[in-house]
Amino acid sequence: MKYRDKPELQEKLAAEFVLGTLRGRARLRFQTWLRNDARLRGIVSEWERRLAPLAAGVDEVRPPQRVWRSIESRIADGGSARPRGGFWESTAFWRGWGLVATGCAAALVAALALQQPQRIEVPVVQTVETPAQVAMQPAYVAILYAKEEGEKLVFMAYAARKSNELWVRRVDLQKPPTGRDYELWGIPSKPGERPQSLGMIPAAAKATLKLPGAADETLENFSVLVISIEPIGGSKTGSPSGQVVAKGDCFKFW
Amino acid sequence: MDPVQNRLLQELLAACGRKDQGAFARLYQDTSSKLFGVALRILKREDWAEEVLQDCYVSIWNHAANYSAGMSAPMTWMTSIVRNRCLDWLRRPNLEVALDPLGEDSEDPLERIPSDDPGPLDRLAHLNDAKALAECLGRLEAKQRQAITLAFFDGLSHSELASHMRQPLGTVKTWVRRGLERLRGCLGTT
Repeated sequence: MKYRDKPELQEKLAAEFVLGTLRGRARLRFQTWLRNDARLRGIVSEWERRLAPLAAGVDEVRPPQRVWRSIESRIADGGSARPRGGFWESTAFWRGWGLVATGCAAALVAALALQQPQRIEVPVVQTVETPAQVAMQPAYVAILYAKEEGEKLVFMAYAARKSNELWVRRVDLQKPPTGRDYELWGIPSKPGERPQSLGMIPAAAKATLKLPGAADETLENFSVLVISIEPIGGSKTGSPSGQVVAKGDCFKFW
Repeated sequence: MDPVQNRLLQELLAACGRKDQGAFARLYQDTSSKLFGVALRILKREDWAEEVLQDCYVSIWNHAANYSAGMSAPMTWMTSIVRNRCLDWLRRPNLEVALDPLGEDSEDPLERIPSDDPGPLDRLAHLNDAKALAECLGRLEAKQRQAITLAFFDGLSHSELASHMRQPLGTVKTWVRRGLERLRGCLGTT
């Protein structure tokens, strides 16, 4: 790495990192270097020591009580550190995260779909007559787990491969906060691609969402689905902007 | 921050490292208003600042055992965690839209930043450990000082600084770089 031989560059990058003007890919790259370079971390600490007193000049603002309540509940269950900031760009993160649940999810779907198709109410596709055929229908399936509350199963989504109807079922999804709504997102498999909205989640336990195209052209691109809390009508930014409450792998079931 | 308060926060952090929840509650009580102020100033939105603050305290709780008093003062350590988290937050895609996602305010979000807000700097001059920094900032050229403080307090990027200060990007970058170099030189000698 060329920066190692350039003390002036290290100094400049560290200063701008701490000041906050080092942005985008340069910031990400610098963070990677920091993880592996104790000397560089030392230079950053020096700059933090130099500039941190500035923060003393900022007005104090008491945060609302709900912030503490939420922190308390998060540290009580082992301090789950929700990923934040910039992570939407990192589909690798979501993929890694989803992998943990994949095994159980696949087993669960297999068990439900093969043994008790009616009871999970697999959407009735007109051409399908028998439970055995329902189970055989090539489809995309996503099982979403709560990000907190012990990763319980909260939501399922299913779309036959050639269909543009996404059948969704709220299993145990709490009501959204007042004035907010849940939005369903597909997290692309390709690194660097933006999450794509699959629509707002209806309040009904069971519903059907319209996909922009057949599942094998739309869901095919996603490795993970997530649900986030958004303003009524959906995120105004085109990406998830609020807390993510559930996530799960989206996989082919055939 | 006076030495007594500094020492108290060090002890609270050490206790948090031993998973003492009472100490953590006290630490939150003593520091959250300052850190929320820092986050709010950079992010300009309460809901974002609340989320970032939550994450930061969970992170502080999880990493308190790794905090080393010899490395930095407690407030410096915690402020850096909050600032870094805010800056990562601002790195999200679609920021131009996201700065005003509720559409409540159609004006340029940068216009909301007071252009020559002397508030934070004025206050610094009265704080012991910030005196040297305030003095060194005072020795910078006005434009350098303005660029550095806008970047620090308000989390502006180079291009946002350029647009806010109505100057070419290259000029603003030079102000920031030279300002930082001079600050380092100045702080090294005071």
